[in-house]
Amino acid sequence: MAFLEIRNLSKYFGKTVAVKDFSLEIEKGELVSLLGPSGCGKTTTLRVVAGFEVPSEGQVIIDGKDMTFTPPNQRPVGMVFQAYALFPNMTVAGNIGFGLKIAKKSKEEIEQRVREMLELIHMSGFENRYPHQLSGGQQQRVALARALALRPQVLLLDEPLSALDAKIRVALRAEIRSIQQELGITTVYVTHDQEEALSISDRVVVMNNGRIEQVGTPFQIYNFPQTEFVAQFVGTLNAVIAEVMDVKEGVLRFDGQQVYTADKLEGFRSGDRIMIAIRPERLSFANEGRKANILKGTVKNITFLGSIVRIQVKLGENIFFMDTFNNPYLALPRVGDLTEITCSKEAVLVLQRRS
Amino acid sequence: MESKSGVGVKTLQDTRQAEKGALEVRPSRAGSDWIAWLGLLPFFLFAVMFLFLPSLSIFVRSFQDRGGNFTFENIIALFTVKDIINAYRMSLTISLITAVGGGIFGFLLAYAVIMGGLPRVLRSFLLTFSGVASNFAGVPLAFAFVATMGNAGLVTRLIEQIFNINTREMGFSIYNIYGLSIVYMYFQFPLMVLIMAPALDGLRREWREACENLGGTEIHYWRYIALPILLPTILGAMILLFGNAFGAYATAYAFSGSFINLVTILIGAQIQGDVLYNPGLGNALALGMIVIMSLTMVGYVSLQRRASRWLR
Repeated sequence: MAFLEIRNLSKYFGKTVAVKDFSLEIEKGELVSLLGPSGCGKTTTLRVVAGFEVPSEGQVIIDGKDMTFTPPNQRPVGMVFQAYALFPNMTVAGNIGFGLKIAKKSKEEIEQRVREMLELIHMSGFENRYPHQLSGGQQQRVALARALALRPQVLLLDEPLSALDAKIRVALRAEIRSIQQELGITTVYVTHDQEEALSISDRVVVMNNGRIEQVGTPFQIYNFPQTEFVAQFVGTLNAVIAEVMDVKEGVLRFDGQQVYTADKLEGFRSGDRIMIAIRPERLSFANEGRKANILKGTVKNITFLGSIVRIQVKLGENIFFMDTFNNPYLALPRVGDLTEITCSKEAVLVLQRRS
Repeated sequence: MESKSGVGVKTLQDTRQAEKGALEVRPSRAGSDWIAWLGLLPFFLFAVMFLFLPSLSIFVRSFQDRGGNFTFENIIALFTVKDIINAYRMSLTISLITAVGGGIFGFLLAYAVIMGGLPRVLRSFLLTFSGVASNFAGVPLAFAFVATMGNAGLVTRLIEQIFNINTREMGFSIYNIYGLSIVYMYFQFPLMVLIMAPALDGLRREWREACENLGGTEIHYWRYIALPILLPTILGAMILLFGNAFGAYATAYAFSGSFINLVTILIGAQIQGDVLYNPGLGNALALGMIVIMSLTMVGYVSLQRRASRWLR
């Protein structure tokens, strides 16, 4: 049985549908990310689990207990907010120990727990600082410690890194994951940053317009998107409308070029127009090794992105992105050169039937 | 695969390195400092001309008799003349009543408007009204109260005619310290609303939610978070209300003439040149007011430093 269960959750604000028919089961110790664009309902879902919003329909069950209408201050849930939400009038120790003070724990117990938490977030010695004396990253670590001090059964993180700059974000997300694994706490992590979601999650829930688009491991979400939205939202994608030529052999055609897919085309007929997609990193220059699909085009642009080089190739009416590892000794074509790019059958993903 | 502790150590270093960069303070642009000081020049000139010089003048003249000779008589009178002591007592009482009363009720009104879930249109209306009412003082305000609640006021007459109740015979009069307090409240309330509204707006929803999430109730939130955060503003606003009432003259004079013995009215009597003409004593009375306000400010600063130590 799942440790945290969200059953058929819907939330309406007037006529606006924030979340619709959302169901999810999360195992104990699992870190699940809710990923989606702004307004997709991920934060509302989190707030329902925290108890700050009452669902219009559905249930929230934690460890077998129905918590749907339990007030937030009686739920075994710790929350980390986007903008830290540290109490500015309390020191670091005051903030971390606040929940324990409310729970009427003894002074010694509070001090002991605060010390443990500070060690956990590697901030021993910061007890007497006030929030404004800390950097953003430190504030968010204190917020995490505060949420964990009461030993909640579920940890909720609402875009905890979005207010931080890029370097700190990358470092802190690994630290959050490390602490989560160390404590084995069931965690729901809301983010709109796909890289963040893919890098720290056991599973990712991609949401759009209040609904779940796809649930899967980061590997599944990235490599096998089930909907056009997931494919477009997660990672960079070359998506084109292609015509089905041969259902049995998996032959498709776009811009006068023929491609093969390993995806099943059952249910389609010859002449159907469908959306297919190829990830930029699945493409390579044909002169480095030819694969099942060869596409001919003209180099339109070359962008140096550090560890990778992104090449734009015009294929008929469409421009494809191709990523290749940066190799200073590799001769790249020049803009305007005719080139052949190649990919395997497996790289051609069938996303959605068009007509 | 990297161990859990390995990940922890590595990421901590990364975080610290990243934060080190984030905490770097940009050097100040010393070259442009003088422009900023130049911008402040009109303020300094204004302060010297209309605050420091008059204060100095008051101080010097407090020690002069009618003939301009040096004397301690005026200062001694502040501590020995019964009327003067009563005037200070009355001024302090009315200032305290209206600062505390106006502060509490103004805060509650601001709370109701900002956090009570009232329609936005009502909020705009009340804030606009507060802006106007906080500046509505002096003769027009006094006249408004006399015309409505005075002995022959509209409301007094209406009560008499409709309910056949003679409020004067029942001992009700607005021409006393409580009546004047009500008149003062008319501008004290709105001033408190104007100061507290943005402060209440500044309370972040996440603080309340974080408190709830940590097991706290509404009472915990106000006791441990909201009130301590608001305390410096509340104290500041109350001291402003105190000063506002302590220095009020036109309203009190127009309302009660010399019925109510306030320091400001006494000063007016000393410098306006009729029977009591004694500018030296008037200056000494004003000096006494400056000293009281200064002491109040010192008390306020000390209280505020304690209340807002988390801001430093």
